[in-house]
Amino acid sequence: MQLLQSSIAQDVIFHGLSMGADFVEVFIERTQNEGFIFKNSRAEDTQSGIIFGIGIRLIYGEQALYGFTNSTDREELLRITTLLGSRIGKGAKIAAPLNFEKLVYPKIPTITDREVDIKYKLSFLKKIDDRLRTDKKVSQVMLNYSKKKQLIEIYNSDGLVATEERPYIRLFHQVVMKDGNLQTESSFGPGAIGGWEFIENLNTEENCEILLKQANTMLYAPACPAGKMPVIIDNGFGGVIFHEACGHLLETTSVEKKASVFWDKMGEQIAHSALSAVDDGTIAESWGSLSIDDEGMPTQKTNLIQNGILKRFISDRMGEIKTGHKRTGSARRQSYKFAPASRMRNTYIEKGPFALEELIASVPNGLYAKKMGGGSVNPATGEFNFSVQEAYLIKDGKITTPVKGATLIGTGPEVMKKISMVGNNLELMAGMCGSVSGSIPTTVGQPCIKVDEILVGGEA
Amino acid sequence: MKKILEQVMNDVTASKAEGDLILSTSKSLKMSAQNGSISEYKVSSSQILGVRVIKDGAVGISYTEALDSDSLKFMVRQALQNAQSNEANPNEKMIDHNGNLSDIAAYPEAETDISLKTKKALELESEVKARDSRVSAVPYNSYSENEYQSFYLSSTGRSTNYADKIYSITSSALLDDQGKKALYYDYNLAHTFGDLQWNKVVETSLLHARNILQAKTLPTGKYHVQFSCDSLKSLMECFSNFYSAKSAMDKVNPWSEKLGEQVISKDISLEDQPLHAQSFRTSLFDSEGVKRRPLSLIQDGVLKSLLHNSVTANYFKTETTGHASRGASSSLNVSGTQFLILGKNIKPRPPKYMEVIQMDGLHSGANRVTGNFSVAVKGYLWENGQKTTTFGNITLSGNLIELLKNVEVVGDQIEASTDLSFFSVPLMFNDLSIAGT
Repeated sequence: MQLLQSSIAQDVIFHGLSMGADFVEVFIERTQNEGFIFKNSRAEDTQSGIIFGIGIRLIYGEQALYGFTNSTDREELLRITTLLGSRIGKGAKIAAPLNFEKLVYPKIPTITDREVDIKYKLSFLKKIDDRLRTDKKVSQVMLNYSKKKQLIEIYNSDGLVATEERPYIRLFHQVVMKDGNLQTESSFGPGAIGGWEFIENLNTEENCEILLKQANTMLYAPACPAGKMPVIIDNGFGGVIFHEACGHLLETTSVEKKASVFWDKMGEQIAHSALSAVDDGTIAESWGSLSIDDEGMPTQKTNLIQNGILKRFISDRMGEIKTGHKRTGSARRQSYKFAPASRMRNTYIEKGPFALEELIASVPNGLYAKKMGGGSVNPATGEFNFSVQEAYLIKDGKITTPVKGATLIGTGPEVMKKISMVGNNLELMAGMCGSVSGSIPTTVGQPCIKVDEILVGGEA
Repeated sequence: MKKILEQVMNDVTASKAEGDLILSTSKSLKMSAQNGSISEYKVSSSQILGVRVIKDGAVGISYTEALDSDSLKFMVRQALQNAQSNEANPNEKMIDHNGNLSDIAAYPEAETDISLKTKKALELESEVKARDSRVSAVPYNSYSENEYQSFYLSSTGRSTNYADKIYSITSSALLDDQGKKALYYDYNLAHTFGDLQWNKVVETSLLHARNILQAKTLPTGKYHVQFSCDSLKSLMECFSNFYSAKSAMDKVNPWSEKLGEQVISKDISLEDQPLHAQSFRTSLFDSEGVKRRPLSLIQDGVLKSLLHNSVTANYFKTETTGHASRGASSSLNVSGTQFLILGKNIKPRPPKYMEVIQMDGLHSGANRVTGNFSVAVKGYLWENGQKTTTFGNITLSGNLIELLKNVEVVGDQIEASTDLSFFSVPLMFNDLSIAGT
């Protein structure tokens, strides 16, 4: 399916160049969304829709000008281009004719989208609902099914024409458990690039068991004690700590404004020598993968940190223009309503030599964060905070009492130097990341890690 | 626009379905500065039309950003198909009302030249840098203007039209003093360009960033805490679940069976005030075309009402309170407008307490089901009426509902949040856990 006549896209680019722009890009998107929430043991809020629009970007030196519209009308697109170009007022010039060439690139494998009807999907989710409700303390189960197919076309003044179809699927599980006045919740949100078979191949029994165990444990857990202590953060969603405490600080979007504490640290030791980390856009079927980024560049595996030394930033076109750091296929945006920005894809700490038990055994008094919640960071100061969904105290090298309400805070540069042991149980987990160019699918991950000391918020 | 809505509604009713439509359009301009020049310049015009159909008692929702006739017909077909996937729900029915309501804002102002807008946008960066040599960057700065219009049409004949224009500016100060960093940002909203408070966002950013630069941690322990109005708003919004009849219907609201019971301190009352005189602006009607009116949620600590739309009202066999909330692409929910916290039995402030001005991590550090929260905070320590210390690098933990049972009113002057959507008397929360040194 062609989203915009190529002659119109080329006219827009030619018009932008004739207005003195150094670079012109047209991004066209058509996204089909569908989803429902399986709640109260039945489907609710079934909805679907089409997102369609066109973003136009003109770059003059280090200035980026961006506009968007839902219209495919040639005159409207030229009007927006004129509006942007006249902002700089560089004056008209004769643009040379361009030869547009369709980009050929390796496709990242996705999971098959087997066609199944809605009744089949509902009966499948009903089984999950039934399984979770076998625990009589469960007061609500919410299974949020979402699927989208994003089709993009990119034209730019380098003569590039690129298209990609990106299928996404996710099933977010949430369980609410109640016992008298006590109430808690547990959640799990697996996602992938692909279709229904991803949902069908989930280990439903194991996932339900984990959700119920977590909710049962946290329902009766006392408050977490507060103070500085060593913390073992387990694998999978534990990777949110690297994502927030370091990953965002390595995006040129922050680096170019010197709004990252790492902006001038290339080649320096910024983390403990035990730590190596990558941002990889090429992992087959993974939620954060893309074949091409939103500037039409094929994605790559980017080694960010090797043995604690900063090796690469996560860069896009504007990042390269402003900082000189080469693009890494990391330009991303939620939709045509956003100009692209350098963003993470599948970002994780690489596995190390230790078993989880060895990390636990090394802690006399501390916290075991089995499952992390979300978090946020201020890249300019490096200050981060994370919630812990499931946590236990460690006494004399052994996991003991469960505790609730723990939060971890610190700064990126400080905590990266305190990750002294890295485990061997690497796991990746899907999440959504919100930042300057909107909310996008990203994967976080890590094996278990030991942080020698971090401030734990809880009951004083 | 009216024609489009009528055309789509004809397709809905021709399918023997009921329903309503929301058409939203917007136009915007945004500029940001970096190193003395405009680094980001963004213009947009966009539209989205959403339909909610009720067919044989079941609801289906669909939306489109393309408004050609094929896309509109496809959208209606999709909505009808989605309705078939849902079970019939007797509470889902259109409100039997009709007639037109209009709320079109008009703010007289002379056209401002783009060159002046650009000059002022640049000053959001340059003025911060000029006023303190320790400013290493102004990472967040922007000027933006947005014009919104929203149309509603139901199959019963109710139609509404709402329009507004909002200007906003943001500035920030990132200070670096020998490697120690501090950041603060401030923003301002206005309905006309001339009402924007340019100097206020610059000065507020600098003031708090300078103070935060001196921040020290505090000893771990229990403290009395007063939240700034913006912080209290964030905290109360995070637990909006507690006032929501939709959450009660979904069995995730711990207050769902507490109507008529004392849920917080008897010194506190909470009202939803859509027409509050000092508020920025809220439409005169909700997303089902129901006229808004003030609502007492909690009176003297007793839960009097939850926020309702028509579906929750049918479920709980009561009346809608005019708090239906729905975007063109979303399903029907409820939301508050302007919250007003009133208090009585005023007590003196304790000799020593913390004033929290910034909270980080509420979105992940708060549990909307339990009321528990644990967040990183910054602010000032007050001792005997004096600000003695700026604090940072600490966490604050508690349970909002338990805290509200033990809260004290420490003044009668009503304070407003920066966005003029939340108003409260000053409150002192007792015995909050702080993790520091």
